[in-house]
Amino acid sequence: MITTLLIIHGLLAVALLGAITHQAFSVRARTRAAGQRSFVDQFSGVNPAVYATPIMLLFIVTCIGGAFLYPQYRLDVRPTLEDLQYRAANGIFEIKEHMAAIGLGMLPIYVAYWKAPLLASHSVTRRYLTWLLAFLVWWNFLIGHILNNIKGLFA
Amino acid sequence: MTGQAAATGPAAAPTQTAASNQAAGRALIFSATFGVVYGLCFYYNWPLFAYYPQVNEAHFSGQLVETLGPPILWYGWLATAGLVAVAAAYLVPRAVSDRLWHGWAWIIPAAVVVVILIYERRWFVTPPQ
Repeated sequence: MITTLLIIHGLLAVALLGAITHQAFSVRARTRAAGQRSFVDQFSGVNPAVYATPIMLLFIVTCIGGAFLYPQYRLDVRPTLEDLQYRAANGIFEIKEHMAAIGLGMLPIYVAYWKAPLLASHSVTRRYLTWLLAFLVWWNFLIGHILNNIKGLFA
Repeated sequence: MTGQAAATGPAAAPTQTAASNQAAGRALIFSATFGVVYGLCFYYNWPLFAYYPQVNEAHFSGQLVETLGPPILWYGWLATAGLVAVAAAYLVPRAVSDRLWHGWAWIIPAAVVVVILIYERRWFVTPPQ
């Protein structure tokens, strides 16, 4: 059961990572020169507003999955890491839980600024909100995978 | 045309702008308060409750019960921050929340992230006891 939940949590995180990365690239400042478009330009060429609600829902559902997995981590994984004196591993997980919390708290304002009408005067705020959320998602994704695979990484 | 420019489209009508600002005002109060209160809850250890997964019990007393196994405080910190943020979003007058500079929306959470990262460096620089 816990393995199934972990896999679902991971798959949701992949979807979230893809969506927020597309949106984060799409809000970067770009030159409008006509001509050949690079891969990055095409990757960025999405309508970022349509990503906001799916990102919010994916963030919430992924966090709920993580919250259900947390007891198993607290009872089995963390004591093992402490026994092995993997202090930094526990540290990066602590930061992961804080990043998830801050991301959850940011969601209302993130969605509010991505809601139509998109005011041009708020474009900088939208950009930094998106980048900050992208940083939180990337951190949690990478740390989740490092901790999940830590036995193999630091055997 | 960039994706964001395409989404922005023509200038928004004044009534839409006002409605957007009002919705953003409450959301800004919620998000800013949540981040700051969560940081304080974590630093001062103010969980609304502590959950003990070994016995599947949540305790609302301020003291940790060591006999129940390792506690999870994160749920309690989230609950405290959520309740305070909801209260703040509804108690702060709209005249105030609607006039807040929108830049605080990302500056406050970013500052909380930086403060937490600085505080949590203890895991990486302090040698094991």
